[in-house]
Amino acid sequence: MSSPERAEPADVLFPGDGEMARRMRAYPWRQSALGDPAGWPASLRTACRICLTSRFPMIVWWGEQLRFFYNDAYLPLLGTKHPALAKPGEAVWTEIWDIIGPMLTSVMASGEATWSEDLLLPMNRHGYWEETYWTYSYSPLHDDDGTVRGVFTAVSDTTERVIGERRLAALQDLGALAGRARSATEACHLVTRALGRAAADIPFAAIYLRRPGTDETILAASSPPEEMPVPAVSGPGGWPVTGVLRSGQPATLSDVAARFAALPAGGWQTSPAQAMVLPLPGETGGQTVGVIVLAASAGRTLDDAYASFLGLVAQQAAALINAAVAYQFQQRRAEELAELDRAKTAFFSNISHEFRTPLTLIMGPLEELRTRLVPGDQAARQELDVIHRNGLRLGKLVNTLLDFSRIEAGRMQARYEPVDLAPFTADLASVFRSAIERAGLSYEVHCTVLPEPVYVDREMWEKVVLNLLSNALKFTFDGAISVTLGEQNGQATLRIADTGIGVAADEMPRLFERFHRIPSARSRSNEGSGIGLALVRELVGLHGGTITADSTEGAGTTFTVRLPFGGDHLPAANVAPAAGPDLVSAAADPFVEEVLRWLPDGEAPLEALPPAAGARLRETWGPPGLAGLTGPTGPARVLLADDNADMREYLRRLLRASYQVTAVADGLTALDAVRVSPPDLVISDVMMPGLDGLALVAALRSDPRTADVPVLLLSARAGEEAAIEGLEAGADDYLVKPFSAAELLARVRANVELARLRNHHARWRAALIDSLHEAFFLCDEAGAVVEINAAFTDMLGYGPEGLPYRAEYAWWPAEDTEPEAHRQVGDAFGQLMRQSKGSFVAPATHKDGHRLWVAASFNEVRDPDTGRRMVVGTLRDITAEHYAGQREAALAAMGLLLSQASSVPQALQGAINELQRLWQVRRVLAVTWDGSEQPSVMSTGAEASWPDLPAPLRERISALRRQPPLSPDGGSGTGAPGDAAARDGRTGAVGITVEHPRGLLALWMDLDAARPFSAEDRALLALLCGYLGQALHRVHQTDQQRETALALQRAILGPARLPDGFAARYEPANRPLEVGGDWYDIVELPDGRIGIVVGDCVGHGLDAATVMGQLRSACRALLLQDSSAAQTLTAMDRFAALIPGAICSTVFCGILDRETGRLTYSSAGHPPGILALPDGRTELLEDGRSFPLAVQPGIERTEASRIVPARAALLLYTDGLVERRRRSMDTGIAEAGAAVHRGDSAAVEDLATAIMTAMTPDGGYEDDVALVLYRHPAPLEVTFPAESAQLAPVRATLRTWLSRCDLSQKMVQDVLVAAGEACANAVEHGHRNAPGEQIQLRAAATVTQLRLTITDTGRWKVARSANGTNRGHGIPLMRALMQQVTIEPGDAGTTVDMQLRITP
Amino acid sequence: MTTPLTLSTHRRPDGTPVVTAVGEIDMSNAGVFRDALIRAAAADGRLVVDLTGVEYLDSAGLTVLFTHAAHLELIATPLLAPVLTISGLAEMTTMHGLDASTGGDSLQ
Repeated sequence: MSSPERAEPADVLFPGDGEMARRMRAYPWRQSALGDPAGWPASLRTACRICLTSRFPMIVWWGEQLRFFYNDAYLPLLGTKHPALAKPGEAVWTEIWDIIGPMLTSVMASGEATWSEDLLLPMNRHGYWEETYWTYSYSPLHDDDGTVRGVFTAVSDTTERVIGERRLAALQDLGALAGRARSATEACHLVTRALGRAAADIPFAAIYLRRPGTDETILAASSPPEEMPVPAVSGPGGWPVTGVLRSGQPATLSDVAARFAALPAGGWQTSPAQAMVLPLPGETGGQTVGVIVLAASAGRTLDDAYASFLGLVAQQAAALINAAVAYQFQQRRAEELAELDRAKTAFFSNISHEFRTPLTLIMGPLEELRTRLVPGDQAARQELDVIHRNGLRLGKLVNTLLDFSRIEAGRMQARYEPVDLAPFTADLASVFRSAIERAGLSYEVHCTVLPEPVYVDREMWEKVVLNLLSNALKFTFDGAISVTLGEQNGQATLRIADTGIGVAADEMPRLFERFHRIPSARSRSNEGSGIGLALVRELVGLHGGTITADSTEGAGTTFTVRLPFGGDHLPAANVAPAAGPDLVSAAADPFVEEVLRWLPDGEAPLEALPPAAGARLRETWGPPGLAGLTGPTGPARVLLADDNADMREYLRRLLRASYQVTAVADGLTALDAVRVSPPDLVISDVMMPGLDGLALVAALRSDPRTADVPVLLLSARAGEEAAIEGLEAGADDYLVKPFSAAELLARVRANVELARLRNHHARWRAALIDSLHEAFFLCDEAGAVVEINAAFTDMLGYGPEGLPYRAEYAWWPAEDTEPEAHRQVGDAFGQLMRQSKGSFVAPATHKDGHRLWVAASFNEVRDPDTGRRMVVGTLRDITAEHYAGQREAALAAMGLLLSQASSVPQALQGAINELQRLWQVRRVLAVTWDGSEQPSVMSTGAEASWPDLPAPLRERISALRRQPPLSPDGGSGTGAPGDAAARDGRTGAVGITVEHPRGLLALWMDLDAARPFSAEDRALLALLCGYLGQALHRVHQTDQQRETALALQRAILGPARLPDGFAARYEPANRPLEVGGDWYDIVELPDGRIGIVVGDCVGHGLDAATVMGQLRSACRALLLQDSSAAQTLTAMDRFAALIPGAICSTVFCGILDRETGRLTYSSAGHPPGILALPDGRTELLEDGRSFPLAVQPGIERTEASRIVPARAALLLYTDGLVERRRRSMDTGIAEAGAAVHRGDSAAVEDLATAIMTAMTPDGGYEDDVALVLYRHPAPLEVTFPAESAQLAPVRATLRTWLSRCDLSQKMVQDVLVAAGEACANAVEHGHRNAPGEQIQLRAAATVTQLRLTITDTGRWKVARSANGTNRGHGIPLMRALMQQVTIEPGDAGTTVDMQLRITP
Repeated sequence: MTTPLTLSTHRRPDGTPVVTAVGEIDMSNAGVFRDALIRAAAADGRLVVDLTGVEYLDSAGLTVLFTHAAHLELIATPLLAPVLTISGLAEMTTMHGLDASTGGDSLQ
């Protein structure tokens, strides 16, 4: 501006010294179409001036031909079209004239401005067709007379942003695919499909997967699909897939056009010229899984940004493929284990059912045969008896197995009722008397009366006593067997002792083990499944009792069973009131039959039973299960209902000889009994309390299940009318009292035979339905369940005694606690009522409260008699399948969770949280014995430590260590409080051990009492823990590798002690092993200046760390050789070219003069340094920049220089600090700048910490970060002896330092005096107390604050101005001059700390 | 290296002694300063101290000045104003030159 040619019009018109200003001044305007600028309209001249002085790209189009003026900022946009000054617009922008030409002409014609945002303009300005986006406005330029003569354009190139956003969207699209693929191939297809949507950036992609175990690949997917370009015949070949697969290094191809005649162009006008072939790395440490080919669009050069985008695409693709492979692997394992488990469950439950059907079909006809047999055929009878006995025996075995599978599944249906245990047990024992005595043994039974009833399930108790007796007899050859029952220690105690062969001590622990048979023990029979005692223990356990055995080999064995009194310890749902007399059921038959056959004269008929037991056995009939087995024949069963005891007794005596008689006292009891098991005939008095005979008949007839039971009514009321009334009600016969015994027997016989004929089919139907494996039900038109079979009862716990079951059924999940399950059943029920056939799956609640899932199929049928609509259906228990589905989900969830964990504690915490969620348990504990003094504890709930845990719990958890890993302990049975397992501490909790990388890990789950922990749960727990064990080892291994790499990194990182004023940080990325190649170095040069280096090598892990070490050493050596920043980097180019993996590293290298603040620097493609100025502005160090190392060997690097102003902060960093996915790096840089400014008053160390914290992304740094921070001037630190002569030199030093802080003259003086006073005090003290001691002065400045610290070794009092007015001025002066003064006398010396706010 | 301080004494035409100090005054040389003032003070104690050339003055120097406060006339520059004002010396003595605007006012 001060040039002497100021008057020249050209300089005013074309101001500045830029290239375009010079060109315009030199342009021969006079010869051009535009003429002498002096004659130009004012608007054109103004436009030119604006254009030339602006730093934004601008154009002026002028005249008819729209001649072209532009500024320096526009040059890069023009590329090789420059120079184009004053050329007609169309000649400059020919290729886009079809787009912009009309826009320009419209502005010229209308005078209205236009605005275009992100307009795509394909340009050819660098020798290829380039995809560019622009935001620009066209504004009219008016002539002096007001006509539009030109157009003024301000342009901004938005290509980077538009393309950046598009690439980001593509990466997001890929990221969204996470977790979708179930196989590697599917993952490849998903990836290529997503890439197909990003064709503008990746016009062609192909994924090749490694053929396992080879270096061969197969093409898995491509984008566009089905399109496989053929390599050009004379070209250099196709994609270098195998090479990349073997080396694991990406390849960049720039000869794509030569390799392939044509590739899909992704919508661009020319075929891709460049491409990258990238390896798809396997999981940490694994083999490369494949290779991805990504062609770059011809519209953009394959620059760093493009290459890193393609790198990210490859990474994403690899992650998706790896996740799919991992999923598949887990899936396969889960399926295998689930299959095994299913097979086991199916075996146990099916085998029993499968045996029952043929058994029914054997035993039924057999009974028929036995009754029809001609009396004289003794041989045939004996053989039939053999078949019959063995049938019974088989039935007993099958039932035992069935019991076991029920117990195993937690579905044993118990009905605990108060029983007077002494007579009941005595009766049971008496069943064996004859057999035992026949065996030549003495038999003693002592059952003393118990103080209160014991709650037992009769059938189970029978099995307990009979099994123990049968066992005793089997192994006792002489001596005695005794049964004693009595009260002992507040419990009912049963002892069954024998003088048999005894059990060897080493066999005792396995005595109750299932299927375990003591080898080569002498016994009466080789028969036996080894299941009896195991069953006994389970049954006793279900009662909340215990069983123990004492044995001496050769002397005998005593089994002791203890049961608690009362019913409080039993599940309330299964406790029932006392019912019926304490009778021995027919279940005893097979036991007795079996033991009799062991005896020498075996073959004993049933009649050999002692009369009492025999009679009792005939007075009742067994439960449905056994009734089904024994079949409908034998003596016909008669149910007798009469309220008169004498009459009842008389009739019973009368009928007993030929029939099985059950006598009841009223109609309701009779009705229940019939419903449980219909007899062959009901004989009922008409007059009875409650339900009378007529009502009983009506009730029986109204129920399809009992409609066919014949009823003989007895009445005192004579007369035709009464008889008609009875017969009308549906009775089959009517007998008026008094009647003769003969008449009664004749009527009964006739009715039974008639009914047997009539009911033959019905009975077979009932027997078959009962033997069905699937649960069967029949509903009436209102939806009430009116008939069910035994399997139904087994499955849901509800027996025929509760029929009919009306909707909403008892097994319907409750609406208030399980609304969703309730709704599902409601929907299913609706289906059942509306449709003629169908099927559904629904939840159900078992009578004992546990959850079932059933699959139902049903059909509508018409009742042939009434024509009413009925629904017949079957239910299948699919609980196992249902939970198997859930289990797969659980396994997948656990697998995913564990694959994401990056540390052992994180994996473990995640896993126990998952277990807690999965089983909804109160708490899960993880206890690890890692060799330290006490195990470490992790909990899902409140934090816990080992000593905090209750002692019994610690013992139980410690006990787990003795069992093999991965075998769950505890949690068997139903989990109900009365469960046997709960008593001895097995329930309420389940424990399992897992091998931990540092020792042994025990997991402990406190179970919820309401939720059973079944065998399936245990299998799942073992499986999940297996996963956990593997994951812990994997994570541990990665942890160790990471630690090694990190140690290496830290070891070769910058100096341990930094020069004053500097702070540095290195932070590895958070994912496993993500130690990277970032580094920093701060070198004190011989001339006192400081060399600063921050760099970033490509890649991660040990390899990158090694490369980094070499680069760092080289750089340090070069700096120490007195090189400049640019020289250093130029030499580094040559060095890096020699080191594999060093190419493309970015480095910032600077040399700082701490006295002047001058920083000279050069950058090899590194992100710009940030200079946070004290006035709040931020400046980026963007000059002196060139390519990353070794990318363009031989280039001369330049350097730039900048004074770091007083109190400004200089931040140098690697991209990990500022780069985030889906965000421009500029945003990150701006954020980092803001973070520095926020710490304007912080010391440099604190500021470094604050920046690292502020910039940490939510999940931790994804890339490693190196950071160097410097605040100018560096703090001053002076140490001097406590002598007054030192004061002046120290002051001089301080004055020099203060002058670097850019403070006002007054402030400098204030600080000098205050510091001088503090120093003088210290000197005075040093003299007095410890002459020659050292005094330290420290001064540091931040943007807003100055801080001085003076430390001495003496102790002086603060207030000591008492003697006189004069010597006490020092401290008041300090306090008056500084904002904050603290004086801290200490044992080792006194510290004066003074702070002063710096005002601008 | 001791603290730089040059002291010179002359008398005004009216006989009032004027001590001119140039340099820095701290505890290392406050004794020298004290002696110079004692030597120079008139019989009635009147004394002018010219601190215009003093770049640093701390409590040791102030203490010396305080002993003469009752009869003292001080010439200083705004640079020393905070110390002289805060200590209260400025109120006890006749001061010249503390205010920047009257900095040129001199009794010499």
